[in-house]
Amino acid sequence: MKYILPLLALTVVSTLATANSILIKDADIYTSLGVFSKTHLYIENGKIAAMGQQVPLAADLEIDGLGKSVTAGLFNSSTQLGTVEVGAIEQTVDFYSENETVTASLRIAEAFNPRSTLIPHNRVHGLTHSLLIPRSATNLFAGQVALVQLGNQPKVIHQSLAVALDFTERGVSIAGGSRAAALVQLRQALDDAKDFSRNRKAALAGEHRDYVLSYADLAALEPVVNGIKPLLVHTNRASDISTILKLATDFQLQLILSSVLEGWMVADEIASAQVPVIIDPIHNLPNSYESLGARLDNAKLLSEAGVTLLFTGMDWHNTHNAYLVRQSAGNAVANGLDKSVAIAAMTTNPARLFNAPVSGDIAVGEIADLVLWSGDPLEVTSEAELVVIDGQIIPMESRALQLRDRYFERLQQ
Amino acid sequence: MKTLLLRTLAIVPWLLIVGCNESADSTAKAMRPDKDPYPSTYIVPNNAEFAILRANILTGDGAELRNTDLVISDGKIVALGTALDLDDSISRVDAAGKWVTPGLIDVHSHMGVYSAPGTANHSDGNEMTSPVTAQVWAEHSVWPEDPQFEKALAGGVTTVQILPGSGNLIGGRGVTLKNIPSVTVQGMKFPNAPYSLKMACGENPKRVYGSRNTLPSTRMGNMAGYRTAWIEASDYKKSWDDYISDAKAGKDVDPPSRDLRLETLAGVLEGDIRIHNHCYKADEMAQMIDMSKEFGYEIAAFHHAVEAYKAAPMLAENDICGVMWADWWGFKQEAFDMVRENIALVDYAQACAVIHSDDPIQIQRLNQEIAKAMSAGNRMGLDISPAKAFRWGTYNAAKSLGLEDQIGSIAVGKNADIVLWTQHPLSVYSHASKVWIDGALRFDRNDSSIQPTSDFNLGIIKAGAVRP
Repeated sequence: MKYILPLLALTVVSTLATANSILIKDADIYTSLGVFSKTHLYIENGKIAAMGQQVPLAADLEIDGLGKSVTAGLFNSSTQLGTVEVGAIEQTVDFYSENETVTASLRIAEAFNPRSTLIPHNRVHGLTHSLLIPRSATNLFAGQVALVQLGNQPKVIHQSLAVALDFTERGVSIAGGSRAAALVQLRQALDDAKDFSRNRKAALAGEHRDYVLSYADLAALEPVVNGIKPLLVHTNRASDISTILKLATDFQLQLILSSVLEGWMVADEIASAQVPVIIDPIHNLPNSYESLGARLDNAKLLSEAGVTLLFTGMDWHNTHNAYLVRQSAGNAVANGLDKSVAIAAMTTNPARLFNAPVSGDIAVGEIADLVLWSGDPLEVTSEAELVVIDGQIIPMESRALQLRDRYFERLQQ
Repeated sequence: MKTLLLRTLAIVPWLLIVGCNESADSTAKAMRPDKDPYPSTYIVPNNAEFAILRANILTGDGAELRNTDLVISDGKIVALGTALDLDDSISRVDAAGKWVTPGLIDVHSHMGVYSAPGTANHSDGNEMTSPVTAQVWAEHSVWPEDPQFEKALAGGVTTVQILPGSGNLIGGRGVTLKNIPSVTVQGMKFPNAPYSLKMACGENPKRVYGSRNTLPSTRMGNMAGYRTAWIEASDYKKSWDDYISDAKAGKDVDPPSRDLRLETLAGVLEGDIRIHNHCYKADEMAQMIDMSKEFGYEIAAFHHAVEAYKAAPMLAENDICGVMWADWWGFKQEAFDMVRENIALVDYAQACAVIHSDDPIQIQRLNQEIAKAMSAGNRMGLDISPAKAFRWGTYNAAKSLGLEDQIGSIAVGKNADIVLWTQHPLSVYSHASKVWIDGALRFDRNDSSIQPTSDFNLGIIKAGAVRP
């Protein structure tokens, strides 16, 4: 009956934001090579300088890590963080366009607001990187996927990692209401992008045939049809997943699948196509006719089939509470997924796939991008006590914490 | 004997009791309209007496008991203690080293009125055709086969309050259900549970009706809308009160015409129907409290109370529960001032703090939502034990429904709504292992024959298989 009460006292780190060296003693350290129990971790000048029992015994900041754990900083692989402030206030919502002439060319990164109040709120809970995926509003194609880092100076790392496409019931509805019609549009767009790629000069000079999509959209799709950049497809129904896998083969596309609520039914197909998937493992309801087979062990079954997992969650909070990806991961483990796989789905896997500036791992020589948790790294009662992003300690400050302190003071009077 | 009596009362339709009281006055035939025309048909199943042994118990009302036995008979907890002397014939569940809690209660759910799949035909939760629709009753929309119910049961949720949506100023009556499989909603209705009335502050009603150029389009319009309705309801109540007293005085009087809308509102003024008020902001809570005093009724709870921490002393003073999420925020301006310590701070101010889901995914893990809220409070230095935190989803929730004398804690005489957990219930790795409602085993994680599945799932999920 292991139940660890969270610590009652805050670790004072904000005053030590300038620490050049950090020593975390006796923590459980989660790495891609396994968990190192009661191990010291020494960070110097933003890098992991030593790990093990033989480390320097003094540092600017020393933390007793006994009973605590360290993981790499967490990624959420499907968010709109920094592109919305208040969901119902449309002036603050930049992650989709209702302009029919801007589809694949939309770069969500260009709307990223590094001063969003959502960023400090998420990073104090251990989120260090976030994939930004635009949403479809007028077309199957939503736009270009970005990677952002949530450090002291939040920034866009990659402007365009993939082009996002919505082949859920929602996207199909935008495309006219039939999966078959949506596929006609999709193939047409991909054929046009190929044609544009071969005839770009003539097309831009007005000496070639007309296209349905704008030149900007076709240009955005060019690296996709040339197999250089992945197409990231949201889709759920097992048969739709198979359809998209076949289409990707036909057009020789790189593919990333997202959502895949019925992925477990076609896990072998996804695995043999070596397509990674972005999922929120917390879904188990037949919320729509495309997800009648949704189940809590989707992540486990996909992993066992050999599919590379990238986690998001909880996906109706994937802006304001993108850090809750950790709770979704914990639930995946509660439903049979290997714990190291769950952690990799928030650390090393996205770091590698999206070519992040950090490794998503804890290893000597790597940039320190990590979180000290007050207990088990996936437990809902564990809190982030120290967050280091890209080598820098993050101040434990957010708008919510200021509100809390203001009103707690009043309640005590 | 007392248990037997309670059971008998529970299955006698409330109508008869009310009728008896009225007709006790032999001078009058005057009757108010039937207050329970859609009565519960739920009957506590017959079950042999059994015991759960050596459990660690979070009692649901703030205590933690170790290595404790409990005995369940006729749907009630009849004994609680260490090393109880039990008859050999009693069947036993060994819970040594395991955790037991009361069944979780979600006081804010739309299961059955927004059923899965979430298609337009299942959109039955928000009668947004007029800003005051006190005449609609959520139970008349509930689809008992909604496949969401069984997943909440697997999460240890034994009682749910199903509410209408928040598009209207006054959205209609809510209903409290036992989370059991039933062909009819009457078979799920918690016998004699008080009705509730859903009201909504703030952005939703003014957005819905403002966009139609009709009142309310502002927050002041919201207030005018509620007050107008209460004035009508006060007059309506008076017309019935006058009729009853005139009839009792022997006058030959006709009853007033029935008005379903005003009948529900008058039920609030009479104290029969409890106000569950969607209200995010502290300043609006204060307006709603003043309005309740203006018209002489009480507010049971503010739901989605994102700013309850700002209003906590006011909630405590007026004995109003704050019903809250652990961490939701930012989807609307009125939800912008969230703090994760909200529930902990409301509890700290000694107001009634309640967790809710409003969501068919999170209702499956209210224990985790409680854990997150506790952890946030402890992180800031409040010393909140698991036993104390669990009240938010049990005793305090029951209190907001007016059912704390029957459910929400493990104590002798209470309904045997009990969850046995695989691990500590505030762990992300924990699952409900067995769930009893009124002493009947309704879910067993290790026995697929005791895992109810909706008609909807047949032919979709393989026979005998279970959707985890």
